[in-house]
Amino acid sequence: MTQPLDINAVSAHYGTTKVLEDLSLSVQAGELVSLLGASGCGKTTTLRLIAGFLSPTSGSITLGGRDLTRLPTHKRDIGLVFQNYALFPHLTVLENVAFGLKQRGIAPAERRKRALAMLERVGLAALADRAPGALSGGQKQRVALARALVIEPPLLMFDEPLSNLDAKLRVDMRVEIRQLQRANGTTSVYVTHDQEEAFSISDRVAIMNAGRLMQFDRPEVLYRRPANTFVARFVGFENIIPFKVTAREGDRVTAETAGMALRLPQSAYGTIPDTFLLATRPDGLVVSTDPAAEGLPATLGLRTYLGRAYQYQCETPAGHLIANGSLTAPLESGTAVKLVPAPEQCTILAAEGAR
Amino acid sequence: MSDRPHPILIGVAALVYFFLMVPLVIVVGAALSDTTYLTFPPQGLSLRWFENIFAISAFRRTIVTSLQIAFLGTLIALLIGIPAAYALNRFRVELPRWLGTLFVLPILVPEIVFGFALLKSLTVGAGVPVFVALLIGHTLLVLPYVVRVISASLASFDFSIEEAAISLGSAPVKTFFTIVLPNVRAGVIAAFILAFITSLNDVSVSLFLTGPGISTLPIQILAHVEQFFDPTVASVSVLLMFLTVAVMAVVERTLGLTFLAK
Amino acid sequence: MTRRFWRRNGATGWALTAPATLAVIGFLLVPIGAVIAGTFMDPRGVFAPYMSYFNSGFRTTVLFRTLQIAALTTVISLIFGFMTAYVVLRAPGKLKSLLIVAAVFPLLTGVVVRAFAWLIILGRNGILNQTLLALGITSEPLEMLYTQGAVIIGMVYLFVPLMVLSLVGVLENIPKDVLQASSSLGASPLATFWQVLLPLAVPGLIVGAVLVFTGSFTAYATPQLLGGERQTVLATLLHQRAMVSFDWVGASTIAAIMTVITITIVLAMSHIARRINPMAT
Repeated sequence: MTQPLDINAVSAHYGTTKVLEDLSLSVQAGELVSLLGASGCGKTTTLRLIAGFLSPTSGSITLGGRDLTRLPTHKRDIGLVFQNYALFPHLTVLENVAFGLKQRGIAPAERRKRALAMLERVGLAALADRAPGALSGGQKQRVALARALVIEPPLLMFDEPLSNLDAKLRVDMRVEIRQLQRANGTTSVYVTHDQEEAFSISDRVAIMNAGRLMQFDRPEVLYRRPANTFVARFVGFENIIPFKVTAREGDRVTAETAGMALRLPQSAYGTIPDTFLLATRPDGLVVSTDPAAEGLPATLGLRTYLGRAYQYQCETPAGHLIANGSLTAPLESGTAVKLVPAPEQCTILAAEGAR
Repeated sequence: MSDRPHPILIGVAALVYFFLMVPLVIVVGAALSDTTYLTFPPQGLSLRWFENIFAISAFRRTIVTSLQIAFLGTLIALLIGIPAAYALNRFRVELPRWLGTLFVLPILVPEIVFGFALLKSLTVGAGVPVFVALLIGHTLLVLPYVVRVISASLASFDFSIEEAAISLGSAPVKTFFTIVLPNVRAGVIAAFILAFITSLNDVSVSLFLTGPGISTLPIQILAHVEQFFDPTVASVSVLLMFLTVAVMAVVERTLGLTFLAK
Repeated sequence: MTRRFWRRNGATGWALTAPATLAVIGFLLVPIGAVIAGTFMDPRGVFAPYMSYFNSGFRTTVLFRTLQIAALTTVISLIFGFMTAYVVLRAPGKLKSLLIVAAVFPLLTGVVVRAFAWLIILGRNGILNQTLLALGITSEPLEMLYTQGAVIIGMVYLFVPLMVLSLVGVLENIPKDVLQASSSLGASPLATFWQVLLPLAVPGLIVGAVLVFTGSFTAYATPQLLGGERQTVLATLLHQRAMVSFDWVGASTIAAIMTVITITIVLAMSHIARRINPMAT
């Protein structure tokens, strides 16, 4: 039942604008993969290409070895959950869920049974005879989910399914979606612009930007080891400082930025190339009042309260940086400090030519 | 969308458009004919039938009357229709629902019945002059279009802008002219054009309201067709069509034609 | 400085709507009401004008002919209008606006002009007869004018653009993702059409049908020019009774019958359209 999805070197255009460039992506059988990015990054285009609402200008899409590229949507056998639910307003909840079964020529009694069973699973059996217009947002979403699941598709796709729900319901629903997907083991593609949502429910996440795939990996890897500055910024590495190595003595690597030297333990960072970018979240820069500390000299600016820490806007010769400091000793604006990188919270990125 | 309609559907649509366009082409052809009878394709091209329009005094007079009535009727409809449309949107909560329906009534009532009723009560009953009765009839004929089109553009107007202007010290009446009206300009223009064309082409209301010496162009065309069957009528028709094209070109320039389709 | 705000009360609203309200009441409701009321004040009895109307074989024939012409016009316009609107909607951007303009244009051309065009085409020496004779399909010119067919063709010509435009609007309002959902669930284009698109379009189809039915039921110029006396309809009969025979009671009766039928149909059908509209809630 469950099948792998392969997107091979797919490009797409809207008129003359290129919206997707040479995208290759493999989703393993039973895996849930999120396509994550800002609007216009190509994630929805990718979903529409897989669904068959758009045709690629080049490349191919296969599902379980079956080539979908030239197949019309209704022959692709894909369960799709829409952003606006897209329930049929003229049909009851039960008829909505049974719709796909009807198209597959299943007898009325049997499709009623299966549709009811599916509604039972999403907890809506009691509303089977209602019109979709009378349901709440969360209920509509469950009907849409049931309607896509009941046809037992080899591939399930979600197009920002939770974006019209309020925050609390969004968290509940994503757990529910994940549980149903796990239980059925259906290969799934999930499109969202919400990083937390993507990271929380996916086996792997594909981060996209301007029609290209930036990084495709497990959430844990993306979160801790972004592969490039785009992904780094996207997942919250707000400080990205360019360095040049000036000396290597055993484990000690001396690197320089804006005339300031910093000694880094190579063993804590992995390989350090001759020019590199040091990327950290605000948590990865420790604010130290010890003038002898091995860090970047900085002058503190505005202090804001985050609840778990204070955050400081810092001015350094290397530019504006953001660091978090402890709650026990708030520091005043204007204080001269050292910002000490915490290796376990930093990552080394290759320097990117144009930057 | 990647799915194209079925070829049979495309064929039917093409036929429908052919059916829509051909008669108009034929009228143009007939108007340019050099013969004294109506024929197509035209045998020899000439503009003599266009000259004939102006040679026949009845056509000259009715063209002037039609333009006067259409212009004045539309203007009066705008004068009473714009405040009504504004009030219907601004005081939606305070005014009863049926008031909105009231202004659509002239569309619901058969035009010919309306014309007959005005003849009975105004021209015959109250001795109102023919021109005035005609003007009243046309004003009411176009009023629903004015109210509807302007209401539609007011519906998307954010009335908090008006409140902002008033809070900044602008007097309410001045605010209407400096803030509200400029923002629904497109609607007013569309309403004017729609009303003008509707009035210019009207037959059913005018039918009973024309009298000795005063008639409108469509009524005159109708009378002419029933007596003579020469290309003059085709020429007048073409004249009317060109007027429509000119008006549509102006709309297209200012608003885009899809606006009128609503 | 004193600032006078618009007071948000009904009084201002009423004042602004007053001229238009009075105009509609004074020049539309009262005159038409008077015409209808007048038919019940006949010295021969309250319903006498109606009795004599329905006792006249000719006049009942006219009523049924008018209904028949309006019904056929509506059905034909509905079928062709729907198919055309569907194609227009799916046409690529530029072509789509061109097709919409091409539908708006005849709509803005006067009814007399449009009826006149068919006079040239269908006449005894008209283009169609000339063509048929030239092709040897007939040896005698066909009598096409002053038939019910001619009137219906003229009426369809009058109302198809209106139907196309109104149905393009209807189809455009059907959310695209619902149609996509249908095909994603395995419905073929034909199944999507019958099971999703058509049911969702029905309320709009009803509104369009009412527009065409009432329009063709009360049209004057087209039946007058293309139908003549042989195809008298209510509108031409009304004119003839009032302006030729000076039979004011008879004319008023026809006016009342037309008004009642039109308003009944409009109210009943728009009620039905609202009730079955699944997108209302």
